Amino acid sequence: MECLMDEKDHEIMQILQNGFPLESEPFKVIGDKLWIDEHAVISRIVRLIQNGVIRYVGPFFDSRKLGYKGCLAAIDVPQERIDEVAEVINRFDEVTHNYLRDGSPNMWFTLITNSSERQQEILNTIKAETGIKDIMLFSSKKYFKVKVDL
Amino acid sequence: MENLDAKTKNILKQLQNNFKLETKPFKRIANEVGCTEEEVIETIDNCCNNGIIKRIGAAVKPQNAGYSANALTAWKVPPEKIHEVGTELAEIKEVSHCYDRECPKGWDYNLFVMIHGRSKEELEEIIKNISERFDLKEYKVFNTVRELKKTSMKYF
Repeated sequence: MECLMDEKDHEIMQILQNGFPLESEPFKVIGDKLWIDEHAVISRIVRLIQNGVIRYVGPFFDSRKLGYKGCLAAIDVPQERIDEVAEVINRFDEVTHNYLRDGSPNMWFTLITNSSERQQEILNTIKAETGIKDIMLFSSKKYFKVKVDL
Repeated sequence: MENLDAKTKNILKQLQNNFKLETKPFKRIANEVGCTEEEVIETIDNCCNNGIIKRIGAAVKPQNAGYSANALTAWKVPPEKIHEVGTELAEIKEVSHCYDRECPKGWDYNLFVMIHGRSKEELEEIIKNISERFDLKEYKVFNTVRELKKTSMKYF
């Protein structure tokens, strides 16, 4: 997949990762740095999205500063029930990430809620609907890094 | 959240839901909110400075940027070392997420680190290097098998 990106694409990615220009014409500012025009910048970003390199362009909010609490949760699901249990878990908007992993527990998801009542409500629903009573919870104490700058 | 005035909330809502790849993205937001483009940029800048907005930018799919081997790793780090280890791990390019977390009873692996490698071998090498560099012998590796969901939270 690396071949989908040329040097200019990498430079655009770098700028997108490290500080979007807060200017009236931000893509022009990016283009000026790379000696291409703003429409070329935009069409390259659109192509990176279409190719699946980029998932999203926009703001990243600090959930804690907005009164939300993030939590990592893990649940051990039998192989034959993976899809069914994932469907129950993924139904909640507050579940933003969910990954199947090797080892035990094998299903890891994140939960972002603005009250512990809501968090408990979601976990109780998952337990009730899946019949799996044991969900491990790892709430965040401190984050050192949240950024994918590959 | 309660500290935000109505205009700021409105601007952030538009920024979350209506940020477009176009020549003047902030102008569109200003038109929606009914204020000037300068006010939009200033409000966003303030929110970047006070940390409500971590950044504006792109979310990449690591597997599509050439990183095919991804793992959640959990490390048993003594509390007195956690700041040093966490801060230094954050500097590693292949580390995307690094969190100190509360753990349930019976689970001793408090530092959660998401690591990405271009191959299984590279991933294992990075893990081994971390283990040796910080003298951390107890850790768990949960390799990513399949993405089941990945979205962004809608706060507004």
